[in-house]
Amino acid sequence: MEGRPEEESELFSRAQRGETAAYEEIVRRYQQLAFRTAYVITGSAAEAEDAAQDGFVKAFRALDRFRPGAPPRPWLLRIVANEARNRVRSTQRRLGLELRLAEGFRPGDAAPSPEAASVAAEDRGRLLGLVNTLGEQDRLVIASRYFLELSGEETAATLGIPEGTVKSRLSRALARLRARYEEPPGV
Amino acid sequence: MFELEQELTALGAALEWPPTPNLGPRIGSHLRAPTGVIHFPTWWGGRSRWALAAAAVVIALVALAIYSPSREAIANWVNVHTSFQQVPHLATPSPQPPGPLGQRLGLGGMTTLPDAQKQLTWHITVPSALGQPDEVYLQPAPDAPALGEITLVYAIRPGIPVAGQTGVSVLITEARGAVDQNFFGKMMGPGTTLEPVTVAGHQGYWIAGPLNDFFFTDASGGVRSDTVRLAANTLILDDGGTIVRVEGNLTKAQALEIATSLG
Repeated sequence: MEGRPEEESELFSRAQRGETAAYEEIVRRYQQLAFRTAYVITGSAAEAEDAAQDGFVKAFRALDRFRPGAPPRPWLLRIVANEARNRVRSTQRRLGLELRLAEGFRPGDAAPSPEAASVAAEDRGRLLGLVNTLGEQDRLVIASRYFLELSGEETAATLGIPEGTVKSRLSRALARLRARYEEPPGV
Repeated sequence: MFELEQELTALGAALEWPPTPNLGPRIGSHLRAPTGVIHFPTWWGGRSRWALAAAAVVIALVALAIYSPSREAIANWVNVHTSFQQVPHLATPSPQPPGPLGQRLGLGGMTTLPDAQKQLTWHITVPSALGQPDEVYLQPAPDAPALGEITLVYAIRPGIPVAGQTGVSVLITEARGAVDQNFFGKMMGPGTTLEPVTVAGHQGYWIAGPLNDFFFTDASGGVRSDTVRLAANTLILDDGGTIVRVEGNLTKAQALEIATSLG
């Protein structure tokens, strides 16, 4: 079992006892998720970095309130997302989410023909553009579920709403996106 | 709809995200730093905060002298740099941290009772048993329940221990809405107990032990979740349509005395 990653519950227990090395490892494991979540909310890499950083520090101070054995992702996401929302509010502005398609991305196992790859990239580009035209609530719930691949519970924690509201909000957002997506381009 | 969801998932996998910063080491050194010493490295290369502040002022003056920008441009410029400067101002873990106590608890914007009352359409109740709050925070919707949420922060009060390292004895949070006992069930940790109480004819609940989250119906009819800030005991009261939450290391008798004095 040499080299096996330490169990999260043990890491959290050590961090709760004040071991900063254990907490550093927790940060390392979750920093990408925290940063991207904050980025989706703020639309700014610099603000997202600050929000994730402040969020992790606040989470460390709140470790005594973390229930042993509870899933850490919703707990951490709630704190980081709250920090990101506070930053958006304090700066009185929210930048548009500027996600781009990665160059040279090839989905699936089999290499597609150049024509098929071009069509797929075009479709995705259009779909991303349509997501960016949605209202903030719609965009956030779609980005949380599909781009960040958060669970319903994690999305609820990130958006600060009940899980039931996530379902209804996501359903309405998808309906709006579908309506726009099915319109012929250029309409 | 399923096809669209698949396409969104595939789109998510094809996105180019900004590079993730390596936060572990810098947070670790911050947590290990002695109180009052900040060790967050930045791309400024370890210069002192005073040097950074002085440089920022010089750059601002030069830029203003050269470009004569509009008021809006100045506001935007200041906004950008203010947000950058927030990084070194993280509070250090200390039993008695400097600065406003509530800023560490994510309660919204700091204000005063008169100013908060002007911005709310409903009446803020203040417990005479505790006197005037030491700090007041207002969180507007949508980050708070519909019609906003107010939090009164009480630092040290005789006979009430400070909760953890917060420096806070009692927090009182108020929002318009309705509470339902059924919402509490899954939110209570092991060993936490709930007891219905009545305060001046109003229905309330005394929760002894930690309460993770708190659900209630806000003024818009939507179910809201709110985080209980202090890992202590909580009294929740429906005061004529205002949900009042009293948190602190309080006995039931102390909490009821505070609730009875609300007015």
